Amino acid sequence: MSVAEEKFARRPVKSAASIEFWHRHVNSISLLGILILLLVAGRIISPSFLSAENLKVILLAVVGTSIIAFGMTMVVISGEIDLSVAGVAVLSSVVGAMFLDTGSAVLVVSVTLFVGLILGFLNGLLVVAIGIPSLIATLAMLGVARALANITSSGKAFYPDDIEGYLWLGRGDVLGVPVPILILIVTALLSIVLTQFTVFGRKLYATGGNVSAARLSGIRIWRVKIAVFTICGIAAALGGILESARLSYINPAAFPGMELRVLAVTVLGGAALAGGSGTIVGTVLASMIIGVINSLLNQMGVSIYLQQVVTALIILAVVLPGLRHRQVAK
Amino acid sequence: MSMAPLIQTDVGTVQRSSAHMLLRDPLLWLIIAVVVIGALTSPYYLTPLNIANTLRNTAAIGLLSLGMTSVLLTGRIDLSVAATMVFSVIVGVVVTVEIGALLGERWLVRGNSFAGPPGLVIMITILTGITVGVLNGIGVAYLKVASFIMTLVTLTALRGLNYILTNGHPYYLRGSTFDWIGDSVYFGVPTGFLIFISTLLVLLFFVTRTVAGGRFYAIGGNEVATLYTGIKTNRYVVLAFGISGACSALAGVVLTSRLKSVDAPLGSGYELTAIAIAVIGGVSLAGGVGSPLRAMLASVLFAATLNLLGIWGVSTWYQNLTIGLALIIAVGISSIRRRIIEQ
Repeated sequence: MSVAEEKFARRPVKSAASIEFWHRHVNSISLLGILILLLVAGRIISPSFLSAENLKVILLAVVGTSIIAFGMTMVVISGEIDLSVAGVAVLSSVVGAMFLDTGSAVLVVSVTLFVGLILGFLNGLLVVAIGIPSLIATLAMLGVARALANITSSGKAFYPDDIEGYLWLGRGDVLGVPVPILILIVTALLSIVLTQFTVFGRKLYATGGNVSAARLSGIRIWRVKIAVFTICGIAAALGGILESARLSYINPAAFPGMELRVLAVTVLGGAALAGGSGTIVGTVLASMIIGVINSLLNQMGVSIYLQQVVTALIILAVVLPGLRHRQVAK
Repeated sequence: MSMAPLIQTDVGTVQRSSAHMLLRDPLLWLIIAVVVIGALTSPYYLTPLNIANTLRNTAAIGLLSLGMTSVLLTGRIDLSVAATMVFSVIVGVVVTVEIGALLGERWLVRGNSFAGPPGLVIMITILTGITVGVLNGIGVAYLKVASFIMTLVTLTALRGLNYILTNGHPYYLRGSTFDWIGDSVYFGVPTGFLIFISTLLVLLFFVTRTVAGGRFYAIGGNEVATLYTGIKTNRYVVLAFGISGACSALAGVVLTSRLKSVDAPLGSGYELTAIAIAVIGGVSLAGGVGSPLRAMLASVLFAATLNLLGIWGVSTWYQNLTIGLALIIAVGISSIRRRIIEQ
């Protein structure tokens, strides 16, 4: 192929890809606008709203949800859903807590992550191998994981007070930046690279966009789906670790309703439940928006239960315009 | 969504119920097996008190699963049933107390006890349930929000509102009507179960003998075809959610009459139970297939099994585990069977 031909052949592909890129990120730009507006509103309501301290608090409050939402975003892009995240986070943390006596933070953390991986993998198997709709499979997994968490712990909470390495994950800091925020940044970057700049990412969008077309073009759908459920399981376990470490409290009844908060962030971030769309950047921005809104509501003295209602209404407001979701009316 | 590749069911596979079909139903034989095992392993299992208790348990979860069935038939799902159940009763109590205040009566007496007219509470409860259901339906049918998102939103919002309306304290329900629904027994059958059976008969008549009911199956079977036939499918979807709301409210009345109290976190996770029962009763998640009668059998089976586990001293958490696993196994078997049929 001559140089000219090569140029000719490459150019349209490249521009198509960049159009796709912009198309995917249009939503993020409007989210960024909303976020800035909210921050300005916060600054007007309270002068200290934009202080480093307050921003740190806002970020720390959304770390767990955001990290789990990265996993959820990938699952939703693939056209599935994972309602089991809270159950996975709880069960993996509790099983990890069984190893608290060893005093080894590395062991506790790796066991927790491993359990998350296994549970996510099981979700994937239920959906792909047995063919259970992911909504039902993961709803059942939520129930099973919560039950198992209570059975294995006899309903008792664990206090990882003696393990400094574990607590460091939730409370420590590196050069003044809290560790959870660093982990958030690292996982966000990893997820962005994975979804936007790898072959796997392309397969992921292809699978969610049009399953038949993806299958016919040689993508092994089952691999992609099992992979995203597994990633989501690990993300849920990691989110669970960070939250437990921050509170120094591993509770088998933790994270009630977490799945909806995570789903809210994901949907707000622009992932359509029909699959094939959504970005990690959008999810990051959406979780910041939710964090800022919650912080504003807190400062206005709104109760946590009313915040729950407000969160629900926000999701509704996001999905109501509906055009994105029209094809999944079911 | 994973539910998108619907199995193509024959339009009009309306399952007509008959005594003959009932006798051939594996669910019936499973119930008999559980009862026999129960009778053999525990002297208490077949006592009138335990039977009445099992039937009372059946009533609440059964009513929820009837509502779920009507929504599932149209190919949608309603995750808000349990939250609606509790919310309706709480609104019933709160609004009645407000009405009492307007009339100059004090119906909320010491210790958060409600001592007003139960009839009014029950009426408002059912109206609230229907309203929530209809709102869900409008969101799903006309505003085109995916049903599980719409009802997940309702679930969260209502659970939050439940706490706000009760301030986190339980309301205690006093009154002869509540006692009647919760405690009284006719020939060994509790009132709550009779309410459940009456609702079942009405719903059964509706889906098998009326045109509107038949359209639920048509919509679940092939929505686009139904729409092109000139049927306004949206109305029937709203109707299905309305029925679900009404059933949830009734379940709330039956459950809270028995507990003599209602508080915000009551019935958490019952939506899972309701789905599990409907699916075990053969209702397809893809829509268009299923019978309320079999959902009833499944709820009896469910309650009888949980009761037996309770008698054996199995902790609630193992019972929850059983519910989750039962759901996975039931849906798993039906989807594997579907694959085999398709091949």
